[in-house]
Amino acid sequence: MLLRVENIHKSYGDAEILKGVSFDMEPGQSKVIMGPSGTGKSTLLRCINHLTEPDQGHVFVDGEELTSKNLNAMRQKVAFVFQDFNLFTHLRTVDNVAIGPRKLRGFDKKAALDLAYQELDRVGLSDRADAYPAELSGGQQQRASIARALAMEPKLILFDEPTSALDPELTGEVVSVMNKLASEGMTMLVVSHEIGFARQAADEIIFMEGGKIIEQGPPSQIFEAPQQDRTRAFLNVIEHGGHE
Amino acid sequence: MSEWFDFAIEHLPYVLQGIPTTLGLWASAMVIGAALGLVLAWARIYGSRPIYLAATVYVEIFRGTPMLVQMLFIYLGLPEIGIVFDPLTAAIIAIGLNTAAYQAEYFRGAVRSVPVGQMAAARALGMGQFQGFKNIILPQALRRVIPQWSNEAILELKYTSIAYAIGVTEITARAEKIGYETFQFFEVFLLIAAIYVVMTSVVAQILLFVEKRVSVPGL
Amino acid sequence: MPYLVHGLSVAIALLVCLLSLGLVLGLLLSVAEVYGHWTLRIPCTVFERIFRGIPAIVLLLLFYYGVTDFIEMGSFMAAVLALGLRSAAYQSQIFRGAFLSVPQGQMMAARAMGMNKFQAIRDIVLPQALRMSIGPWTNEFSSELKATSLAYVIGVVELTRQAKYIISNTQGNILIVFAVVALMYFIVNRAGNWALYRLENRLALPGFEHRGDA
Repeated sequence: MLLRVENIHKSYGDAEILKGVSFDMEPGQSKVIMGPSGTGKSTLLRCINHLTEPDQGHVFVDGEELTSKNLNAMRQKVAFVFQDFNLFTHLRTVDNVAIGPRKLRGFDKKAALDLAYQELDRVGLSDRADAYPAELSGGQQQRASIARALAMEPKLILFDEPTSALDPELTGEVVSVMNKLASEGMTMLVVSHEIGFARQAADEIIFMEGGKIIEQGPPSQIFEAPQQDRTRAFLNVIEHGGHE
Repeated sequence: MSEWFDFAIEHLPYVLQGIPTTLGLWASAMVIGAALGLVLAWARIYGSRPIYLAATVYVEIFRGTPMLVQMLFIYLGLPEIGIVFDPLTAAIIAIGLNTAAYQAEYFRGAVRSVPVGQMAAARALGMGQFQGFKNIILPQALRRVIPQWSNEAILELKYTSIAYAIGVTEITARAEKIGYETFQFFEVFLLIAAIYVVMTSVVAQILLFVEKRVSVPGL
Repeated sequence: MPYLVHGLSVAIALLVCLLSLGLVLGLLLSVAEVYGHWTLRIPCTVFERIFRGIPAIVLLLLFYYGVTDFIEMGSFMAAVLALGLRSAAYQSQIFRGAFLSVPQGQMMAARAMGMNKFQAIRDIVLPQALRMSIGPWTNEFSSELKATSLAYVIGVVELTRQAKYIISNTQGNILIVFAVVALMYFIVNRAGNWALYRLENRLALPGFEHRGDA
């Protein structure tokens, strides 16, 4: 088992955002977390690498528990892709990708750059390697930030609504990169409402509401024969172009 | 520490006698600076080419050279051509002319930040350019400039100590005198450092209060 | 004239020393104030408030007459310390503002990669903050250049003191001497501003270039 999430609780003041969430992931699996906004999906994702400290519960990666002691080492194994990219503003695209290997993985400059070019090629951005983030389109920025995650050669990548800050015409290029990674066997945990990715690439859909997992299962089951009324109602809304 | 308090209390009255000089010097210079600063700002925004250039040269010179040099120029230099001031007057003029250059820039920025439509609306009502400036632009600009102006006022309050260099007996000069009489320089300069900190804090609070009082929603 | 040039070189030496002291200490103060534990933050804030609240002249006198009672030092050293510590207080404000204006996501992304706080500050936040600081730092440069003239009152033979000596010796030409001195300050100020402006533009990131002129 690659990832085990056990009984995560998180509250902000009186508001209980996560009410005990548990699930597992095997190597090579892709899972998509769906659910109405404000249900704690992003909070859950952040709790997994302790960008947000959970109040209760445990996270194990490869059998090792994430603690404040091994935090930085564990984060190198669990990459994170942000909704708003957060590329490092002062670094060229290729340096954004190279900085992890260079500063954290002990690569020398040349090896780090070689790896960075390789990862940029993987997301189809080789030709923009010398551009600064501000010179890239939103879709290019998100692909660059995926390359930055890949350069850590992580065991698992967490995606926090990777397409929701993008104009609709730019989401396709990001989704196709994600599809490709999934088919290459990358382990991915994705918070997203991209039905296309969920149907095509996900092994399992986790449906959350009110801080809890309500239903989980393969896409065929969730999309074709959801067991819960809430799941059905939600899917109706997003599949017919409602809000979210 | 208690020794210092005894020392401070003993010499406080003499030092405090310098406060009217310090505050008078400060207030006079700020008034000169505000009046001249407004004129300079006007000249740099609405003035014809020669007037604009003259105002710009003034601002550049006074902001580009040290106030102490300006003060020595006025106090020691001008008598050469028959213009003689006593130290206090020379200090007021020097600090006033200096702060005018800075205030001009703050006023100019504030006037520029008033939307163009305000002047257009004033002109559409039939006001002339000067009327529009005086009645519409200036009241808005002055409110916007208060935070920067307060900052400048507090800086100048500290700069009044420079007048000590030409022999004005404000509080710094009085402190030095006590220093030479008692040879307790550290104690006495610590005392006036504390006085300045208190003075600047009080002034800052007053200006903050004024700012709140005159504020207008949306500005 | 050679005396004035010598005075100018002393003024510039004083400026370089005090700005360097202020830069190093100001950076440390700002990092402590932005990222430090509150036990570190409070003394740093107190230091900053005190040194910004006391006039430069009083600090010069305090260090020259006062602190020399305990520690032996010359007037130049006293001026470097007094003005340098004061500059540190002002510079820490500049750097603090710059640190705070770097979007939070930058730190978060660095930490999410597995960088520790120190690495994230050094490699990600600091390079961005320093770029943003150059503009306001130019103002600090100008202020401190002018402040070096105040070292006159504790007898540092910098440009202004040198001018005073010349006037006392030659009994005349006061206006000309001070005009020349003023011009020297003016030129150094302009040259410094120009160089810093060039630096700022050279380091500017695409998409964040300077708008307008100096």
